[in-house]
Amino acid sequence: MELQKREEEMLSGKCGAGLKKCMEILVAVGECNDAAKMIPVTSVHMAGNYSVMETEGIDWLEELARGGSRVKVFTTKNPEMYDFEDWREFNVPEELQEKQNRINNVLKDLGITLLYSCHHYLAGNSPKFGDHIAWASSGSGAFANSVIGARSNRDGDHTVISAAITGVIPEYGLHLSSNRKGQVIVKTGNLNISEYDHSEFQAMAWHIGKKVRDKIPVFIDLQPETVIQNIKAILYSLTVTGAVGLVHFVGITPEAPTVEAACGTSDIGSLEHLSLTQEDVDKAYREISTATDQKVDLVIFGCPQCTIQEIGEAVDLLEGRKVHPETQLWFCTSGWVKTLCKRMGYWEKISAAGGRIVADIGAACGPYLYLPKQGVRVIAVNSARASYYSHNVTGMETWFGSTKECVETAIAGTWRGRQ
Amino acid sequence: MMKIKAKTIVKGIASGEAIISRMPISFTGGVDPNTGKVREPGHDLEGKSIAGKILIFPVGKGSTTGSWQYYATYKRGNAPRGIINLQAEGVVAVSAVITGTPMVHRPEQDPFAYIKDGDMVTVNGDEGFIEIG
Repeated sequence: MELQKREEEMLSGKCGAGLKKCMEILVAVGECNDAAKMIPVTSVHMAGNYSVMETEGIDWLEELARGGSRVKVFTTKNPEMYDFEDWREFNVPEELQEKQNRINNVLKDLGITLLYSCHHYLAGNSPKFGDHIAWASSGSGAFANSVIGARSNRDGDHTVISAAITGVIPEYGLHLSSNRKGQVIVKTGNLNISEYDHSEFQAMAWHIGKKVRDKIPVFIDLQPETVIQNIKAILYSLTVTGAVGLVHFVGITPEAPTVEAACGTSDIGSLEHLSLTQEDVDKAYREISTATDQKVDLVIFGCPQCTIQEIGEAVDLLEGRKVHPETQLWFCTSGWVKTLCKRMGYWEKISAAGGRIVADIGAACGPYLYLPKQGVRVIAVNSARASYYSHNVTGMETWFGSTKECVETAIAGTWRGRQ
Repeated sequence: MMKIKAKTIVKGIASGEAIISRMPISFTGGVDPNTGKVREPGHDLEGKSIAGKILIFPVGKGSTTGSWQYYATYKRGNAPRGIINLQAEGVVAVSAVITGTPMVHRPEQDPFAYIKDGDMVTVNGDEGFIEIG
């Protein structure tokens, strides 16, 4: 690939070992993808948490920081293992606390903002239309591409950290307009989608992800009034079963005012078409659950982390009721939403019901590094993504259902949703 | 001795016994960092160790966190010495860069036709070729 003088200097080692390593990473990624050049990035988000980084990953970051590397671009971090304010209440093993302190310190040294949130785009890391960004979390990356119209590939942490430190990323994949054209027309007209709740949108997207694999889907009959929560439901589920970075929602996605604009052709008939039936959605819905035991140890919301609206809705369902003594109820969210919950009185109401608001973690993996040792094995979630990752990465047994079914489960102590 | 030209992803020269997979490999979940053994059920290398070998496979797959897991595998002495892909993608390429593992891709002749498990193979990332025997 063709490098600018400044990029060549970084690669040669003239600007120090850290920038050399970062540029080597970016050039290798560029070479794999036949990128012609590097382009500037405006926003970075790092994903990897301790469960995948392990101690060696922290060592790697520390070496980078010791060499004096610092991010040039605003960079935030995904959730981690536990709540930094209330961690004493959660019996987090000392070893994990030590690792977490090292992660906190090294990220701060590198200049990365300790947001510990996966709704970073609601909390200050907001790109604008057309921006080139490097977000290493596939759900939020799809949100950026599909709702905001910013441009991100499915990059890994080493790539996005390198982008943050050098300020550039190879121009390939979804950074190029020619690779952003819709490829599969998705028809949901046979479904009674106007009656769908958040969980049914996820089941629908679970099926679509498996069918489209790495092709760009184009939803042609989703109402522009569809609330953002349901758009997120589609994106965060579709990116689990499909290697998809961008979804065109005609009438919603900035690049998709019409189906022709989304696909870059007027010959829509020549494209692949996917029609869904309710049976497809029901089958996917059942597939997402992995548990058989009816007794539920933990009902956990927040993958992606709960918004203040989502917590408010759950509070309405919980008020005046009591969580079963053998079941825990957690709402995972960001520090700022937790603060807002206290201000809104949600904190008191959830505490009174026997539930907890837990900041700085998500419902997909972080807490399962210590919860199984505390007897948590079967969990209930309203997120298909949480079901997949907590089961496949950390071995949890999972039930998937609607928010209401999960709240009812917390009160009954046994699964109250679809079998 | 046979030479196959290929494109360099990471410079350096490494020799060792070949281990061949015809299936994509994921380093998150797919390979155990503590043993270097492939642990993905149904994978054609399931139960076999990639440690110290020249690993030949078509392409990487799976979570982008794979480069963290590969780094841990490397630090624990269980990573391959060299990598040959038909087509490199970001996760495997980054894994090779951060561990200094010589890596080439896009070989000009099909390596599966000329290399079998246990053959001595050299990855030459400095000059961009694979040497067999």
